[in-house]
Amino acid sequence: MAGSIRESAFADAAALSALPAVRDRRWDALRRAARARLAPFGAAVLFAAIVVALAAPLLAPYDPYAQDLSSTLSGPSRAHLLGTDNVGRDVLSRVMWGTRVSLIAGFASVAVAALAGGLLGVIAGYAGGRVDGLVMRVMDAVLSFPPLVLALALGAVLGAGLSGVVIALGVVYTPTFARLMRGQVLSVKTRDYVEAARALGSPAWRIARQHVLPNAATPIVVQASLSVAFAILAEASLSFLGLGVQPPAASWGSMINSGRGYLQQAPWIVFGPGAALFVTVVGLNFVGDAIRDGLDPRLTR
Amino acid sequence: MGRLVAHRLLATLPVLLLVTAGVFALLHLTPGDPIDAMMAESVDATAKEALRRELGLDRSIAVQYAAWMGRLLRGDLGRSIRTGEPVIENVSRRIRPSLQLALMAMTVSLLVAFPVALASAVRHNTAVDRAGTTFALFGICMPNFLLALLLIFLFGVTLRWLPISGYVDPLEEGWAGVRSLVLPAVTLGLALAAVITRTLRSSLLDALAEDYVRTARAKGLSEWIVIRGHVLRNALIPVVTVLGLQLGTLIGGAVITEYVFALPGVGRLVVDAVFARDYPLVQGVILLIAVGFLVSNLLVDIVYGWIDPRIRVR
Amino acid sequence: MEISRRDFVKSSAVAATAAAVGVRPEPATAQTPKKGGTLRVGFYVEAATMDPHLSGSKVDRQVYHNVYEPLVTLDTKLGIKPGLAESWSQPDAKTLVFKLRRGVKFHDGTEFNAEAAKFNFERMKTEPKSVRKGEVANVESVEVVDSHTIRLNLKRPDAALLATLTDRAGMIISPKVIQERGAELQRNAKGAGTGPFEFVEWVKDAHLIIKRNDNYWNKQGGPYLERVRYRPIPDDVVKLQSLQTGEIDVIDYVQPRDVAAAKSDKNLVVVDVPSLAAFAYQLNHHRPPFNVKALREALAYSVDVEQVVKSVWLNVGVPANGPIPPTSWAYDKSVPPIKRDLAKAKAKLAEGGQPNGFTVTMTTNNIPINIQEAEVIQAQLREAGITLKIKLVDSATLLSDGNSRNFEMISYQWSGRPDPDGNIYQFFKTTPGTSLNWSGISNPKLDELLDKTREVSNQAERKKLYTEVVKILQDELPMLYTVHPIEPKAFSPRVQGYEPIPDGMMRFKDVWLK
Repeated sequence: MAGSIRESAFADAAALSALPAVRDRRWDALRRAARARLAPFGAAVLFAAIVVALAAPLLAPYDPYAQDLSSTLSGPSRAHLLGTDNVGRDVLSRVMWGTRVSLIAGFASVAVAALAGGLLGVIAGYAGGRVDGLVMRVMDAVLSFPPLVLALALGAVLGAGLSGVVIALGVVYTPTFARLMRGQVLSVKTRDYVEAARALGSPAWRIARQHVLPNAATPIVVQASLSVAFAILAEASLSFLGLGVQPPAASWGSMINSGRGYLQQAPWIVFGPGAALFVTVVGLNFVGDAIRDGLDPRLTR
Repeated sequence: MGRLVAHRLLATLPVLLLVTAGVFALLHLTPGDPIDAMMAESVDATAKEALRRELGLDRSIAVQYAAWMGRLLRGDLGRSIRTGEPVIENVSRRIRPSLQLALMAMTVSLLVAFPVALASAVRHNTAVDRAGTTFALFGICMPNFLLALLLIFLFGVTLRWLPISGYVDPLEEGWAGVRSLVLPAVTLGLALAAVITRTLRSSLLDALAEDYVRTARAKGLSEWIVIRGHVLRNALIPVVTVLGLQLGTLIGGAVITEYVFALPGVGRLVVDAVFARDYPLVQGVILLIAVGFLVSNLLVDIVYGWIDPRIRVR
Repeated sequence: MEISRRDFVKSSAVAATAAAVGVRPEPATAQTPKKGGTLRVGFYVEAATMDPHLSGSKVDRQVYHNVYEPLVTLDTKLGIKPGLAESWSQPDAKTLVFKLRRGVKFHDGTEFNAEAAKFNFERMKTEPKSVRKGEVANVESVEVVDSHTIRLNLKRPDAALLATLTDRAGMIISPKVIQERGAELQRNAKGAGTGPFEFVEWVKDAHLIIKRNDNYWNKQGGPYLERVRYRPIPDDVVKLQSLQTGEIDVIDYVQPRDVAAAKSDKNLVVVDVPSLAAFAYQLNHHRPPFNVKALREALAYSVDVEQVVKSVWLNVGVPANGPIPPTSWAYDKSVPPIKRDLAKAKAKLAEGGQPNGFTVTMTTNNIPINIQEAEVIQAQLREAGITLKIKLVDSATLLSDGNSRNFEMISYQWSGRPDPDGNIYQFFKTTPGTSLNWSGISNPKLDELLDKTREVSNQAERKKLYTEVVKILQDELPMLYTVHPIEPKAFSPRVQGYEPIPDGMMRFKDVWLK
């Protein structure tokens, strides 16, 4: 699955760079500056994607479902900037409407994962002991599943459609957030002010809200921004295997998938959504990197 | 150390239990029945029922799970419903291509990542560096089925340099086997290369900033000797660990690559088995994949903890 | 009825049917066939089992028709001609006598005779996992009359039985192999058949190899090829590309979208093989909206089958008027496919109590062509005011939903049988319990007609009966038929001598490589 290699490698790499290192301040600042130049590009892409997704009904030149069986597979032209597909639908309009699906798939699944994982992580970290052990075992179990198979099986049970994909991907990403949150809780738990608050009898939820969450927010946001990119790629992979939105709605992934067979005759069917997918994912990565570097260079503990 | 290992091994058991129970529950919740799928064009209800009874599929889920567990503890992973073949044989036959593909992909990724990361780190913050990081980024963002498509089209169909489908075992057929794995290995390897590049670059930069490097430079030693002598070895550690952790994912997760290139690997085996509702096969393979994943994680943690005493696994 | 083989026209009818069947590789008689070579065949999936009695999948049959032989076989017009049986006769309606060919040996050296045939029939009926039981259910008993004559005693007259015996039910496996090898026969068929090729090895997920049988009984023509190697290539894009790059020599199916390009590719030869298959949608008669006949009719009048065939199938197929394909002798072209008529559709909607249209969910397979067909139909229905929701599922779920009648409208593909009975009876006869009659139709007149088609043996009479059946089916609409696909097969230009038979099975006996 597109997401899985990168996703888990990213998590590994992030964990590894937690090695305390002696850094030269000069290198640091320069590095941040270089990356910062790319960040606005990423933000611009993300902004554009959101605008397109929201305003698709207004921006799209054609109805994405309108078939024109007399002009199928026609190349890019003035009438159809990205050509038409195998039943004569305008590719550009479908790419625009597809933005909605892909972004929802990406953001919603990560939201599910962050909420579920975050909650589980807080519970595990705070309660400690057996509860911690149990929760982490379950998270390990989910992690040892090949992600694609897990998503496939969940999708088959939950039924086809976007909601199935969102929940399936949400489950797949939950352990990452659970571990992250748990780590945060554990490191905060032992701090002096927390001990003091507990000694004073402050209820757990208030401690969580006042101390844990603000600190945890940053790494969670960083991880989330990276995960959204992976989730969008993952949704594309899932539709390759037949799981995903129901026709005639289209996500970029399902468009690429159904356009594969026409690659030689009508490559625009694949490259239209392919380019959109690629650019959006790249942009999201830039944004994620920028957040990570900008917010706290000593991050990734 | 030994106690740590034993403790960790024991900890994996409940995880495996959860995994198998989870798979079982999930499979049985999915609509569809392996017998119907196998005998799709037949209406012979009695034959189907006879087969179901023979395979124990008419009993309750809990009973079936207990029976499966019982067999497992005796070392029997059961037989595929579709083919009647023992699950163990099925998996061991398909592990080889997956393993070979994974190793080749890792080789490709290192071959690509190495020079790029090195150039990036040494020519830090120049155009070369930016090109390197950009390349890494693009590699990560490219959907791998799209990449597979393009590679097949370019190298297979247009240039006819490499075969585009089918698996030939390099251990048996040598060079022909390697050629059959090149395109899929590049497809998988590129994403991995991108990640390795970032990791390697990052750790190279850290290592290059170390005091002893500055001292060596001040002493007048050439850049290359400095790198080769000290920096590389230290910088490689995180890379090796990332690769180790990735091995499990590469083997079980290369489904799309295996599908497109018609490679008889483990990833596709699981997915096909899920589609056919071949319960014993799915359970057996997932169990083995999970075991492999957990064991490789444990090994990496052990090696890592041994190498770097600063990091001790709790 | 006497069917005399003396009157039988042999396969020189091939030349006459070449025009009907389309482009073919050079005629077999033009050059001298060369012996030798390995033919590399790419199928989308590999065989499931090598035991014809336990086989339920279509791809298995492709290999079987080269390794095993049935008692009777098909010619290019779906007529029945001698196979392992030299001749047959019916002394009365419930008895079928086969005179078996002499001098035929199984690949393991044992002799093919009446005892062997009887053994096979009994195994089909009694082996617990036998998938052929339903096909030979009508055979009460098999008697050995003499060493090369068997008599089948039937429970009821059965005009369709001969056609059934041209496929797996009629294939004779060596009893010695069955007895010695038992369940292992599923993976190892060495010595088990009598055909022009014999089984060599099957490396699962990699290849299945068969080699020329130099002791084949039929000395006319081939086999010429040294070996045939079957490889599974699940991705159909890569499959075609493998043929184009020369990695394989034959593929079993070219997708409609690739047909035009493949035909203009000078490095490929495409043969259009009209098939026996049909694509249709089963309509649930026991669930709204299609429990109301008028609404079913509204659906039928709103769908433009011709447009579907033109734009989705790119005319690699023929609009269907019902379950009988144009390749069949029972096809009646005077009954046209239901023509689109939006005015009639509106009238039927009103008649059915839904003047403003209705909403219905179509369950269909997650394959590109199914999705495309569904989308086109969805657009067509929208013009009539009917809202179609599409639910994509994988095939196991589709089967489960169908068998449990959990659908409103569900996609169904039937690969087709040479006798129309195989395409009709089990789908439309009133059957309690689980069956392939997913729509749940129960029409006494139809039941009566269906039983009659099995009893009557005169082909002309049966054809008239089937025409009546098709008309009732168009009226009652248990299924909405869309297309009878053509199954184009593609070859490297080196492949010579291929003779397409409408059952879609690729028989390589007379094929050779240039």
